[in-house]
Amino acid sequence: MTAATGLRRSAAASRIRPRARRRESGLLVLVAVVLVLGSVSLGVTQRQLAGQPLAWLPADAGQLAIYLGALVAAHLTLVLAGRRSDQVLLPTIGLLGGISLLLMERLPQSLVTQSLAGRNFGLASIQLGWLLLAIAVITATAVMVRSDAWLRRYKYTWAAAGIALLLLTFLFGNEVNGALLTIEVGPFSGQPTELIKVILVIFLAGYLSDFRPLLVSASMRLGPLRLPPVPYLLPMLAMWAMALGIVVIQRDLGAALLFFAVFLALVYIATARASYVVLGLLMFVAGSLIAYQLFGTVRDRVDIWVNPFIDASGKGYQVVQSLYAFGRGGILGTGLGAGLPLVAGRLPIPAIHTDFPLAALGEELGLLGVLAILGLYLVVIERGLRVAASAADDFRALLAAGLTLVVGVQAFIIAGGNLKLIPLTGVTLPFISYGGSSLLANGVVVGLLLALSDRGVEAPPPPRPAGSRRPAFLGGPARGAR
Amino acid sequence: MDPYVIAIWIVRIAFLGGLYLFMFGVARLLLRDLRAATRDPGGALARLVVVGSEVSEPPRGTVFGLDAVATIGRDVNNSIVVEDDFASTEHAVLTFRGRAWYVEDLASTNGTFVNGLPIEGLSAIAYGDELQIGRVRFRFERARR
Repeated sequence: MTAATGLRRSAAASRIRPRARRRESGLLVLVAVVLVLGSVSLGVTQRQLAGQPLAWLPADAGQLAIYLGALVAAHLTLVLAGRRSDQVLLPTIGLLGGISLLLMERLPQSLVTQSLAGRNFGLASIQLGWLLLAIAVITATAVMVRSDAWLRRYKYTWAAAGIALLLLTFLFGNEVNGALLTIEVGPFSGQPTELIKVILVIFLAGYLSDFRPLLVSASMRLGPLRLPPVPYLLPMLAMWAMALGIVVIQRDLGAALLFFAVFLALVYIATARASYVVLGLLMFVAGSLIAYQLFGTVRDRVDIWVNPFIDASGKGYQVVQSLYAFGRGGILGTGLGAGLPLVAGRLPIPAIHTDFPLAALGEELGLLGVLAILGLYLVVIERGLRVAASAADDFRALLAAGLTLVVGVQAFIIAGGNLKLIPLTGVTLPFISYGGSSLLANGVVVGLLLALSDRGVEAPPPPRPAGSRRPAFLGGPARGAR
Repeated sequence: MDPYVIAIWIVRIAFLGGLYLFMFGVARLLLRDLRAATRDPGGALARLVVVGSEVSEPPRGTVFGLDAVATIGRDVNNSIVVEDDFASTEHAVLTFRGRAWYVEDLASTNGTFVNGLPIEGLSAIAYGDELQIGRVRFRFERARR
């Protein structure tokens, strides 16, 4: 109710007038040119391999046109809404999504099929549908969210929703590669962890901004470490237990790693105290050692990471094939559509569209392409942290930083896993991997960042501690009550 | 060499080059942003925005940039002068100490309130908190850069 009244008030107070976004339109033109070039490169190679006559045309002009049209529509909506939000995020995400579309057009369409209303859709068509939905989510969130009260007021409600989603996955989850990852609703299946990561950031931002002054000032000496008193350490213990619980019950190492890393980063941002980070890292090492001793999945992942060639045709197969793919790519790559030789009529990496898109891009675009893609993630992170740095209060700063880090850390975890820099865990590469829940959840993240980057966003409400009273000489609580 | 092969490689490299052109364009925008931020002198560490002041000075909407030490009171020598019958000559002081901001009540007659609660001695204050001196309410905000 409060959020709704806030929305109406600000809409009435400031008349909406269009505002040109020249930087965004300039960058979007560049994105369109790059994607058309990529599509032509893919189309020519595909036609040549299929023995069709030479034609300098895009691989699938229709899909590309629909996608670029959606980006233009999103841009125009933001222009009409007239908000002064960030102008770099949308083109950057648009480029990442476009690369995803090219990759899905390039992979065998039979990897994922879905029948809807009597028609069959392949991998690229389904991914295009999810990309359009994600762009719609980004635009709608960026335009409509004018107040963050609905996020900051109900942090414990959000936490409860997150835990409920987690429990649902525990109870009704389906197993994918030995991990409880997906929930099925009718014909669709979704990954709740993608949504839980957003909810976690909202809760942590609310919790840490409330207790920040206490966390910073209180301290207790323990040897060389200055630690906060025990009660303030409990959330950290709870978070650690939750991450370990995800590993134990769900066998989802990626989500556990992501949640704990983002939690530690946010605690550090909120308090600027290295002792929390040191403590968290010690707990992480202890937890990892326990998990390694107790669980086969964890042991397998770590052993493969140490040396995948021990079992190159069995457990280490995907990682070895991923390394070969990067190696075949070299510096310039084989060109879109020309890489990924089939092994016995099948792709070398089975989960290439979800877990290993970076390996496919590494082979076809080479080192230069992979560096450019990692650079695009850095741009997203820079913009997000900038939103955080110019936020008006702690909650908003922590929210923006957390949302940014959740995307950045996830990209790092899966890119590092593909490159054998860290043990492989099954999370998606944001905006590039195939998958609806990942695209939609990351769309919400980017939409919120765009909304928060607007200087004209509603001022944060004054915090009201429980039992707060106005000073008596002002006539007591009656005057302050709303 | 087959002209077709050369042509397809030109397209492939143009695609990669396009990716870097995009990065270059973004980097130029970021640099321009950073330069604009450094040109802007605003050395303030935080700001106080007046959100409620009906009968006294400063009026609602006034914004003060804060240095590491900012005193508040009725005396003209304070960093922030509050013309209010319920404010003391030297009422309170805001200090930035390395990691966090603190507010201290300087034994004022009517007290200093953070989020509606009176403070005792030195107490931590967070961005977004509401500070009340006499009948003037401020919101304590992060500096805009």
